[in-house]
Parts: sequence; structure tokens; C-alpha cells
Amino acid sequence: MSGFLEQYGFLIVTMVQAGLLGLSLYFPLQAGQLSLASPGFYALGGYVAAIMLTNPAFSGLRDTLGNGMFPLTWLVAALLCGLLGLFVGVPALRLRGIYLALATIAFVEILRVVSLNLAVTGGAIGIFGIPQAFGFQDRWQYLWLFGPLLLLTLLFARQLERSRVGRAFRAIREDELAADAMGVPPTRYKVLAFVIGAVLAGIVGAMSAPFLNTWNAKQGTFDASIAILAFVLIGGSRNIWGPVVGGALLTAIPEVLRFLADWRLIINGLVLVVASLYLPQGIVGALQGVRRPPPPRRPPSVPAVVEAPGGGA
Amino acid sequence: MTAVSTERATVLEARGLTRRFGGLVAVNDVSFDVREGEIFGLIGPNGAGKTTLFNLMTGLTPPSSGTLTYRGHNVTGLAPHRIAALGISRTFQNIRLFRALSALENVKIAQHVRTGAGLWAGVFGTARAEERRVEERAWALLDLVGLADRAGELAANFSYGDQRRLEIARALATEPRVLLLDEPAAGMNTAEKGQLTAFIREVHDRFDLTVLVIEHHVPLVMNLCDRVAVLNFGQLIAVGDPGAVQRDPKVIEAYLGGE
Repeated sequence: MSGFLEQYGFLIVTMVQAGLLGLSLYFPLQAGQLSLASPGFYALGGYVAAIMLTNPAFSGLRDTLGNGMFPLTWLVAALLCGLLGLFVGVPALRLRGIYLALATIAFVEILRVVSLNLAVTGGAIGIFGIPQAFGFQDRWQYLWLFGPLLLLTLLFARQLERSRVGRAFRAIREDELAADAMGVPPTRYKVLAFVIGAVLAGIVGAMSAPFLNTWNAKQGTFDASIAILAFVLIGGSRNIWGPVVGGALLTAIPEVLRFLADWRLIINGLVLVVASLYLPQGIVGALQGVRRPPPPRRPPSVPAVVEAPGGGA
Repeated sequence: MTAVSTERATVLEARGLTRRFGGLVAVNDVSFDVREGEIFGLIGPNGAGKTTLFNLMTGLTPPSSGTLTYRGHNVTGLAPHRIAALGISRTFQNIRLFRALSALENVKIAQHVRTGAGLWAGVFGTARAEERRVEERAWALLDLVGLADRAGELAANFSYGDQRRLEIARALATEPRVLLLDEPAAGMNTAEKGQLTAFIREVHDRFDLTVLVIEHHVPLVMNLCDRVAVLNFGQLIAVGDPGAVQRDPKVIEAYLGGE
């Protein structure tokens, strides 16, 4: 068992991490917003953790908190990404469809160039020698962080979908104008969905900085935007398991096919093309299509007559 | 069941409502009052500006000029969800249901403004009582429009007439005081139109609503409405009780003359 984990631990953790990043894109998509901003917030979260864990300015805090420093980096990353998400989201979400996607790509690029040129982020070299979280001896132990985060996120997503806010997201996704006319304020919920994605990506980044040991501008790039989008599209964008399955699969395939040397990239590309052609709903969507959802159950007590609202004037 | 003759409080007050699209004046200096509890018909030839007028009244299109007052509050240019929250709801001429969602969910969504569960209440499941009320009310509304046995079906799979009924149920879910119906009888046959007239009247009575209806089918309008306004080329050319409007020479020339 420990031999297996030593060999594949890094890959398994990366698969879970990919699923989480897929989910960070899934939330705005729930409200119909195609945002590719996740790598930007992921990079920012990572920088927050890297700086807090290595910068001499925080040495006093590190000595006081010990291992408590790690959860604090998650919290600070979540907060900063949430605030930045709000700041970026309010103007950006006035754009629709492909224009929003382009604006979020620009956002990722701006963050990347800024981090390349700041002293505090280590410029082009980045930040290295980031201490391992909780003194972990091996990479697979990061499953203790990413695993529970994934479970919590899935639980959060499931609960959200069943709630009033989740319904508002879906209404906006289906028809923003009709949602507005039916009393659902589109801007508020679009920004909320965007911020949820930003916070998640930020926490994943903050957990990833110790995991990867170094953090630099290569962490948040346009390539990553497209890769994360592929996780969601291949896995399925209408079910919480879609991004998880897509992320895990697309991360594992290049590794599993390593024996094919350079051919593996071609196979990887083929998988993408075939999946998008034949599984437009994604893998999970295709599996789900086989099984129809059960009809909704009528509550035991439905008032026979709808009362006049407002007590009748 | 006769026309409301006694003076009732004014619910909606349009003053000089105008909307230009480039060089086209879709709605031109339109003023009228809608009284509490009446069924108010809006008729006119194609392209007369009826739907644009509805859009101005529900915030989907901001007016170029003019004001709209609802129960004494100036609601001109308010966002659609704010107007919905104030108690004005509508259906759409070209049916805008949430097509990929179930009938039940369509009706649940529209209760948004009358409920308050936020993100954390939803995630931690602390809004159970509210959720139960939303669920029950959604079923009751589907009962009302006769679609409860197909609550789980996607809105897109319903027939044209059923989609129109579902849209009315969805509009009612916002708990409106004023209901705007944009060509509710479009595409229906004579028998269905008769049923619809009875249905609109039932909804009006049961919910104690003020109803505005855009309709092409003149017998339906004459049968249903307490008062009728006629639009032609964006201008209001007549307002009054159906009989008088029907005899108005300007109206005959513009609209009824073609019948």
C-alpha cells in the first residue's frame, strides 16, 4: 500500500486537485457564466501561501502559530480571492458568453505579468523552498488536505443546487431575462457564483504551494484556463461529478500513457476530440442520460386552494 | 361579471410613456390609468407597440421618456426583478419558460422574491420550513393550471397551450397584484380560447388581481375585459369600455375595420 502511494501519490493528489479546479469553474457555469479566471485565483492563492510561509516579514507569525499557519494561509487566500473576485466580477459579468471568457483570460494574463514583475512574488524565478504542510514526509499525504476539501466542496455544491440560490443560478443560466422578470436579480447571483469559484480556486492554490514546493508565474496561465475548461467539458458541466471525473481522467491519461512517449500527447488530443464529438454532455452527462431522474414527489399536504396573496385587499 | 363601473383606486399610471428604437417610435407619448381589480385589454394591429409597452411596464426596456407610477411609487426604469418584487408579473408573447428545467422547478424559481434563504441557509439546510412552503405552493399552482401530474417533465416538452398555462402559473408564483398577459391565447383554437377566458377570469377572481391582457382575438377581449385601450403605430387612440371602443370610428379604421 505505501509502495503504491509513494509511486502514485503525487499523481493521485494532482487528480484530486484537478477535480477541484474543475469545480471552481463549474460554479460560475451553474449560473451560465463561462469564466476562465480560475488559474488567476489559483495562482494568487498560491502566492499568498508561498509569501506567508517563506517571507521573513511573517517569521514572527509563523513562530507563534506553528502548523496553524497553514489553515491561516487558506483563509487569507480565500478572503483575498473572494474580494478580488467581487472586484473583478462586478464589471466583468456585465459581459456575456465569449466576451466574459475573453475578459477572464485577460484577467489571468494581467495577474501573471504582475507576478512576474513584483519583488514580493520573486519575479520570474518565483518563490521556492516552501515548507511542506504540517511537516508531511511524502506527497501522497496531501490527500489529507485535498481529499476533505473535495468532499466538502461536493457537499457544498450538492446542497447549493437544492437551495433557493441554486435555483436562481439555474434560472439565470436558462434565460437571464426571464429570470430577471420573475424576480431573480441576475447580477447579484452571477457575481456570487463567480466569487464562489474564485474562493475555491484560491484555497486550492494555497494548499498547492507547499505541495509543489515552489510557486511561480507558470502556475496561472492561459494554458491552465483551457485545461480546466476541458476538465469540465469532458467530464460534464451539468453534474457536480463531471468536473471531478474530467479533471481526474485528463490528469491521469497522460501519465498512464507515458510508455507511448511522444505519442501520448496525440492520444490525449484524440480523447479530447472524440469526447467532445460524441459526448457533448460530457462523460457523466452521457452516463446520466441512461437513467431518467425520478419524478418529484408530491408533498403530503398541498393546500387545495391557493390563497390570495397579501390577505386580499 | 359586468364591467367595473364604480371608481376604483388607480394602480398603474402611465404618463407620456415613449420608447424610441433608432428612428422608430415604438411607443409614442402613451398615457393611461389602470384601476384596481379591473381586467384591462390592450389591443391593436401588429407592430402597434403593445409588447414594447408591456416591456416598459415591467422594466425589460427602459422608456426614452415618460413616467410609470405604481400605487403612488415612481417605478420608471426600475430593474425587472424590482418591479416583480413590487407585485407586477407577466407572461411573454414568445413564451420564455426555463425550458431545460421541470415544470415544478419553473414555478419554484419564481417564488424567489417572496422567500429569503441565502447561500448559507441553503448549504446548511436551515431553511427547511421555507423550502417546504415553496414546494407546496409550487404544487398548488400546478394544480391550479392542471399540470401537477406532469410536475417533473421539462418545460420544453409541454404543448404550446400547456406552456402558456405553465407560464401563468410561474407568473402567479411571484405573488403579483398586477398580472400582465402577453397574447395568452396565441395559437389556440376557439374552444381553447373559451377555456382560457374562463381561466383568466378565475385567476383574476381567486387572487384578487388586476389583469392587463394583450390580445388579437377581438371576441375574447370584448368578452373578458372591463376596459380596453387601443394602440396604433405606438399611439393610444382610444380607451374605454369594450362596447364604446368597438364603435369608435378611429378604432374601426385602424383595427376592427379589418375584421
